[in-house]
Amino acid sequence: MSGSLVHNLVRRLAYAFISIVGVAALVFVLLRMVPGNPVATLLGEHADNETVERISSSLGLDQPLPVQFANYVLGALHGDFGESYTLGKPVSELIGPAFLNTLWLAIAAALVAWVVGIACGLLAAIRKGTVVDRLFMGFSLLGVSLPVFMVAMLLQYLFARYLHWLPVAGITDWTGYILPAIALGWGSAGSIARLVRSSVIEVLQQDYIDTARAKGRTNTQVLVLHALRNAMLPVITLMAMQFSGLLSGAVITETIFSINGIGRLSVQAIAGRDIPLLQGTTLLCTFVIVMGNLVADLLYNVCDPRVRKGA
Amino acid sequence: MDPSQNANVTSVVEGELSLASATTSFEEPASVLRRLATDHKVAIVSTVVIVLFVLGAVFAPVLTPYQYDAINLSNRLAPPSLEHLFGTDEGGRDVLTRMLYGSRVSLVIGIVPTLLSVVLGTLIGMVAGYYGGKVDTAIMRVADIVMSFPTMLLAMVVMYTLGGGTTNVFLTMVLVGWSGVARVVRAETLKLKESEYVEAARIIGVRRARIILRHILPNCLPTIIVLFTLDIPSSILTESSLSFLGMGVQPPSASWGLMVSTGREFLYYAPWLCFAPCLAIMAIVLAFNYLGDGLRDVLDPHLQSQ
Amino acid sequence: MRRRTFVKAMLAAPLCGLLAQGCSSLTDRAKRGRLTTAASSDMTTMDMAHNESVYWAQLNIFDRLFETRMVDDKATVINSLCANYSRSDDGLTYDFALREGVRFSNGDPLTSSDVRYSFSRLLTEAAVNTDIPLQIRGGKALMEKQAAELEGFRITDDTHFSIVLNAPNGGFIAQLSSAAMSIVNERVTREATNFGMDPAETIGSGPYYVAEWVPNDHFTLRYNEHYWGDEPTVKESVQRIIPDASTRDLMFRNGEIDLIDLSNIDTLIVQRSYKTEHADQIVYNQQVGMTYLALNETNEFLKDVRVRKAICMAIDVDDIVNNLMSGDAIRQNGIIPTGIWGHNENLGAAPFDPDGARALLAEAGYHDGDVSFELALSGDGPKLLYEAISNQLSKIGVDAHIRVYDKAAWLDKRRSGQIEAFLATWFMDYNDPANIMDVFFGGSKQVKNRSICYPDTDVMARISDAKSILDDEERREEYRRLERKLVVEDRAWIPLYEQARLFCRGERVERFTPFWAGYGDFYVKDVVLRKEAQT
Repeated sequence: MSGSLVHNLVRRLAYAFISIVGVAALVFVLLRMVPGNPVATLLGEHADNETVERISSSLGLDQPLPVQFANYVLGALHGDFGESYTLGKPVSELIGPAFLNTLWLAIAAALVAWVVGIACGLLAAIRKGTVVDRLFMGFSLLGVSLPVFMVAMLLQYLFARYLHWLPVAGITDWTGYILPAIALGWGSAGSIARLVRSSVIEVLQQDYIDTARAKGRTNTQVLVLHALRNAMLPVITLMAMQFSGLLSGAVITETIFSINGIGRLSVQAIAGRDIPLLQGTTLLCTFVIVMGNLVADLLYNVCDPRVRKGA
Repeated sequence: MDPSQNANVTSVVEGELSLASATTSFEEPASVLRRLATDHKVAIVSTVVIVLFVLGAVFAPVLTPYQYDAINLSNRLAPPSLEHLFGTDEGGRDVLTRMLYGSRVSLVIGIVPTLLSVVLGTLIGMVAGYYGGKVDTAIMRVADIVMSFPTMLLAMVVMYTLGGGTTNVFLTMVLVGWSGVARVVRAETLKLKESEYVEAARIIGVRRARIILRHILPNCLPTIIVLFTLDIPSSILTESSLSFLGMGVQPPSASWGLMVSTGREFLYYAPWLCFAPCLAIMAIVLAFNYLGDGLRDVLDPHLQSQ
Repeated sequence: MRRRTFVKAMLAAPLCGLLAQGCSSLTDRAKRGRLTTAASSDMTTMDMAHNESVYWAQLNIFDRLFETRMVDDKATVINSLCANYSRSDDGLTYDFALREGVRFSNGDPLTSSDVRYSFSRLLTEAAVNTDIPLQIRGGKALMEKQAAELEGFRITDDTHFSIVLNAPNGGFIAQLSSAAMSIVNERVTREATNFGMDPAETIGSGPYYVAEWVPNDHFTLRYNEHYWGDEPTVKESVQRIIPDASTRDLMFRNGEIDLIDLSNIDTLIVQRSYKTEHADQIVYNQQVGMTYLALNETNEFLKDVRVRKAICMAIDVDDIVNNLMSGDAIRQNGIIPTGIWGHNENLGAAPFDPDGARALLAEAGYHDGDVSFELALSGDGPKLLYEAISNQLSKIGVDAHIRVYDKAAWLDKRRSGQIEAFLATWFMDYNDPANIMDVFFGGSKQVKNRSICYPDTDVMARISDAKSILDDEERREEYRRLERKLVVEDRAWIPLYEQARLFCRGERVERFTPFWAGYGDFYVKDVVLRKEAQT
């Protein structure tokens, strides 16, 4: 039994590795299909053709594609992701601090999402069919349906513009995280609430809950000890996947709130056609997602015997 | 991806969960409608909303006297009035007109690429699930790569490579969208493959393609319809997010995401520019989500039993 | 129970934020002597050999031999590091004397050798900004590594040197005031491993040095105690990088920044809000530069002068100036923009006459929809202006369809002379007509580089030669004749307007003088803080 688990883990790690390399290759090829020389944006208006060619060859851009990719992979294995064209620094130096900013934002957003989502979902499940249920579920559907930029803009204008409570944008201290965390966590809260509700309802209908009740446990005990605990499995899986989602692409939130994270760095890299930088950020995000999916898969596999066969 | 784009991940996960013990059966559309009407009135209201949006998009030229790209610099940022119900934008264009034309983009981008990726995903999923073995492994690895891509980043990279514009938004969405559907359909197929009637068909020598089309596909259909309905809103959101970042539909075309993006600059000064398309996005996404929820309850006996 | 604590937490968080944020009042102790601003993009490098678009570092941490400053509302070249100079009669040799006692921010004295090194370095790095030092004798040899030294640069002693040019250039002194010609510390730069990126290795003699630079987030300038000029009131300047214009707008209104560049906010919004709510805080600055429509003369339709003239007549520039720019622009009728010496006030405006334009097209044998070309928009270009022009042209039956390109692709396409038509703005680097006439029409290489593909080689040769005319009056007349030929006769250039750049001062700023050419970058020393905000 445990042998197959180890085997499973090894196999999944191998798949994860293939995914990462596949993504790296895809991005590499895609970015080089774009017409126009990336050096052009770097040099700007005045540069003539000779200058562009001179700089291109100094960056190794005149070599054939497979050679460039091989060089890139070799470098990446040593932790060298090349140097950003536009910011002139090693990519690893740039994505490190940016990732940290994104990580804090993701943690804050996940907190918002989980606390609000689980609370709303649980409450709706207990009061299934009542006005509370309808209200909360309507609210959570709204969470899933509102574009993140709309939430972000509303928050920005309400809290920062009219109430002057919080900074509009940028992170100078922890207060800067509040609005973006709500904006980013809002949607996830909605989907978590929906999932918590449906799994709690499902668990509450199982026989053992009746048994527990029959044994004289109070409602709260039943709810916390049995219902929530058992209902959390799918929720945790979703959380793992969502967390990597939050980490890998708070693109819009970071843009609106001017947070110097991975998402904004990627947008900037695209705008400046900074191929090494964009490659670095996509690779990092892919890694995070692959790991998130891996954790979610493993959790699911360990916890739910039904899936173990199918996978 | 931002969490609002997580909607399809969610629906896939939820779909898988409900499928784990579901025994699906196909129902007549009329009876589905009847049951929606009795148990899910919100879904009916949502359908009406969707139909209204579709009518607005189709009859846009009849409904408004203005052209969506007619610049009038002397009437910029005019507040809502009888002449311009939703005011005018920074180029003096009628916002209502642009919204009507923009709904074409949003609806088409919501429906067409989703349909394509559902069809593609269903085919791939059924083939992978039914044939199993190396075919399955290969297909699922590719699906894994696609699934492990940061959706928004991939979309940005592809849009960047291909350049902005509606067709490229289509391509991007299909490229990303099929994998989720394929996974669910594959799981469903795996289960159906073991069922008695498929086994029986196999024993009497029915060809594989026929088994897939005649026996497996109809049984997957309810799930596919639910997936389709629930993926439409996430496509609409993805398009609006891409356009918001300036990487989606390009001017002079109008799209809701693009309108919000340019309107954002004026949120404080000319809120109508931003709020009208924002509310439209919200309304259509909510409507599709409610409809999808209703359909799932009706088509999926597992959840229905509650 | 659980929910109630949660609600409390939700309410507490913003309240804590309120306390932590504090009030951004005029006399906030922590902010004294500090100026906080926000820019849309970060510096890429402080190295002038590799950057020609963002001049923050150049203007504030380096000095030049000359500066262009506004004197009595006129852009005037004044001495900076140069104490005095003389020019030989043939216009080839310049003798310079440096200001005495100038020190870099690390205490090193600034000498003639630093100047030579700074100019030579642009050539040995051989990337951007090579055009000015290339005029110095031996410049080409140095750039192509055939010589080790810049032949035309002769050092007499620590404060005296002379420069010999290949050909006379009436605008040379003005060129020396451009940001590219900043003087760096030779000793530190030679030893530097990362000049331009590492603030500790990027040493100039200007009023500030870079104390901290967190790429993409902010950089901090601090007063240089060794600075030779007057001590500025701003002792520390924090420039935050906020790419989003509406966020910068909100930050200003929230008191988070002290000065805002309004150029990315719609002019009508500026008019309706800033100009009414902060009327006395607006700083108006004419950008010296030209927004123009370029038409490629290799295009089958655009090669016909009648078509170009019709297009010119179909564009309602006044509508654009008055409504799109809300009056914050000056209509331009020539090539040399307002604010540059040599600008011709008397060049008449092309008439706005759509009917005449139609007739002209018909005369050229074209009917509705016949004339069709692509209006190529770079991703970061002025979308609304493109849409307005395309819309105006559609009214005379000309189909100018907009296509959006990524910036690199756009530049590439333009450089190879293949863009059919585009709109752009040219900002002046120094106060001399050559900075636009020569850049656009100085030869077949230039006209191709700009996708204009103007064919008349005689005219282009005359433009190139005009640089060598040493008599300013004579040079002005020659430029005017050439400008008239290009704009009125050949319609090779369709001028639109020169935009103003508006800033708004926050309550902590008493006075502010923008850069003469209307860049978003400015001399921080030209910001004067209010007394209460100083100490």
